[in-house]
Amino acid sequence: MQVEFQLIERARGGDDAAFNLIIQAYRKRILGTIARLIGRPEDVEDVGQEVFVRLYYSLDQLRTPEVFEPWLYRLTVNAAYDYLRRQRRRNESRMSDLSEQQVSMADALAGGRKSDEEQHRTRVRELVESLLRGVSEDDRILLTLKEVEGLSLKELERIYNVNENALKVRLFRARQRVLKVFESEHKAQAAGPVSGKAK
Amino acid sequence: MDELQKLFCAYREAIPDPEPSADFTPGVWRGIDARRSSARLFRRFAQVFVAFAAVLTVLMGVVVLPYLQRAPVYRATYIDVLAEEHASEETAALADGIQQPDFANEAVTQ
Repeated sequence: MQVEFQLIERARGGDDAAFNLIIQAYRKRILGTIARLIGRPEDVEDVGQEVFVRLYYSLDQLRTPEVFEPWLYRLTVNAAYDYLRRQRRRNESRMSDLSEQQVSMADALAGGRKSDEEQHRTRVRELVESLLRGVSEDDRILLTLKEVEGLSLKELERIYNVNENALKVRLFRARQRVLKVFESEHKAQAAGPVSGKAK
Repeated sequence: MDELQKLFCAYREAIPDPEPSADFTPGVWRGIDARRSSARLFRRFAQVFVAFAAVLTVLMGVVVLPYLQRAPVYRATYIDVLAEEHASEETAALADGIQQPDFANEAVTQ
């Protein structure tokens, strides 16, 4: 726990100063999680602010301060999930506006200004992003929490309110689906650069 | 550690926790206030609606219902209303020159 139970109790009682301290204690961590869940740095702060607004209005539903962190994670997951669903709907109409050539030109321009280290990070980010785009929001969030954020099964159990076995099954299936996307992207890349963009 | 796990670890390193901007916390409070004011607006609307409904109910109870109950059909007895109806029927019959049957005399004759 990054804050004391007393502080959470005070915030639950309507103490705005206590809630401010909670924001300061958790904002960086929550923003990091959101950044990796949604993969769009420009929208991270908006989603993060939404998480804390939801937290403010749902603090009275918190049974005990002991479950505060899983509660905060659940709110984060829900906000990220809502964002990804909105984004998916928006992307379906927006992606057709850019031609293949425009996309590759923009990539080349962006890549030209970066150092090798940054380029490597960008490549990893793009690769993982494209893999995660190929699966559902549920799979994406579950895998990110487990594999990227490093949450334990116990922690995930408390966030998702399901037992360990059910989680293991869901994780296994999500991993299988990502691997399938990974393999199909490999095949597409091997076939040629133009068809590589097909996914 | 398999390839996928390695890739996810690299992804974790590629996206470190971002530093929140100076406007982050004020933005949260703006969001809280915006939601609070819309909730307040809804509550105010609900209060006005309830007050209006209460006034309307009282008005109906005090003014409209007694006014409607002042109609003769609510004040007179059943016999009065019946007699009044028959009186109008008799007048109409007399105007047409039709003789009304005398039930009382018929009974005595039989």
